[in-house]
Amino acid sequence: MPDVDVLVVGAGPAGAVAAWQARLAAPALEVVLLERDRAVGSPVRCAEGVGDAGLREFVNPDGADWVSRRITDVIFQAPDDTEVVLANCGLGWILDRTRFDAYLAAEAAAAGVQVLVGAEATGMSRNGDGRWHVRVKERGKDELYRARIVIGADGVETMVGRWAGLDTRVPARDMESCAQYVLQGIDINPDAIYLQFSNAIAPGGYAWIFPKAVGVANVGLGLVALKTDGRNARQYLDSWVARRFPSAARTSYTVGGVIVHTTIKKTYADGVLVAGDAAHMLNPLSGGGITNAMKAGRLAGRTAADAICAGDTGERRLAAYHKAWMELLGEDHLKYYRIKQALEGVDDASFNKLAHTVNNIAPDKRTIGRVFTHALIRHPQLIPVAARFFV
Amino acid sequence: MRRVTPDTIAVVDLAVCDRCGLCLPLCPPEAIHLELNVLTVDSAGCTGCEKCVRPCPVGALAMVAYA
Repeated sequence: MPDVDVLVVGAGPAGAVAAWQARLAAPALEVVLLERDRAVGSPVRCAEGVGDAGLREFVNPDGADWVSRRITDVIFQAPDDTEVVLANCGLGWILDRTRFDAYLAAEAAAAGVQVLVGAEATGMSRNGDGRWHVRVKERGKDELYRARIVIGADGVETMVGRWAGLDTRVPARDMESCAQYVLQGIDINPDAIYLQFSNAIAPGGYAWIFPKAVGVANVGLGLVALKTDGRNARQYLDSWVARRFPSAARTSYTVGGVIVHTTIKKTYADGVLVAGDAAHMLNPLSGGGITNAMKAGRLAGRTAADAICAGDTGERRLAAYHKAWMELLGEDHLKYYRIKQALEGVDDASFNKLAHTVNNIAPDKRTIGRVFTHALIRHPQLIPVAARFFV
Repeated sequence: MRRVTPDTIAVVDLAVCDRCGLCLPLCPPEAIHLELNVLTVDSAGCTGCEKCVRPCPVGALAMVAYA
């Protein structure tokens, strides 16, 4: 029976950074990172967009092979297709998650983490020895791992959270159903992300175009199923793509859920920490979760290492992780969530009106600040819609 | 253990399901499982609430009469 100090379940950004940081904090610890799928980073269930500042806390995107595209502009599109262009309004990146996640896992491995692919945790129990016993299915056979701390970074469907007795359930109104194609041969500005708001296109969410190269983009949408006309996310996406890019080649598709809620009430238990999507640590306005997950992973990895070194992995000590997360970003997410709720009543006509009046500001004077000020005066309920992508 | 037998329960069409896991946290009794790349709805745990059905991005979940 393998005996490890930290067992991390899930090798996305949260898990890879958690494992990596645990080893950096305490190089003597035995840290194992499990990935259920056969490849770290695949399948991609992500629009792959990320802000520059958060990313740079961990890795350097300049010239990196895990970057698809550098983004400088944001184009908001109203329901009537009116565009509000914000040129040079900030720096962002569209990642290549297959390479990015593998890069993070390699960084973890370089720090001494053992990375296992095709290894799925299928259950765990707390035993009298003060360790978690985790069943892991690998190449068809079961292995039992003994771990002092298990870090659940197993995404939207988190089983680690459930097994540890944490409440990771989500109300349907706080789950966005997403579908996305990779489209080839489309005529777009390759330096801009496009965001379209419309209750007809993506009720309760938005549609996006995130360029991966000239003429190539992740084109998708997220919606709240309770607000739809009965069609599912992929059917909504098919309608939008058919109208906007009728001749594009669809070379890939993905679907998934984005939890637009707030951090779960309790992200820890005896010998357990939950991080990233698994703990609902996403920005509930944008649905962005990559750097949130990395920051949570860093906190979880360090907390786990410190707890093991101190010889106390009980939940009273691990509660420090939850507190640190809430101070770092969790409290902000509570605010964004309230803004999201306030926005839910905004109709398409109001979005159109805002786009028309914002365009009266000369493009060279159209800074984010001026757009905000304008929105504040004309349509105070709309400010956060623009703000959400820069926070 | 549920107290009342529902009239209908959720079932998954595995030919359509993309294994994205979105439905798992939507299930109040936690009766949906994703293990070894197969999604299952535990018919003994499903309360027939339908909360998983509409959010599925590909329409892989449906309600059927509980026999």
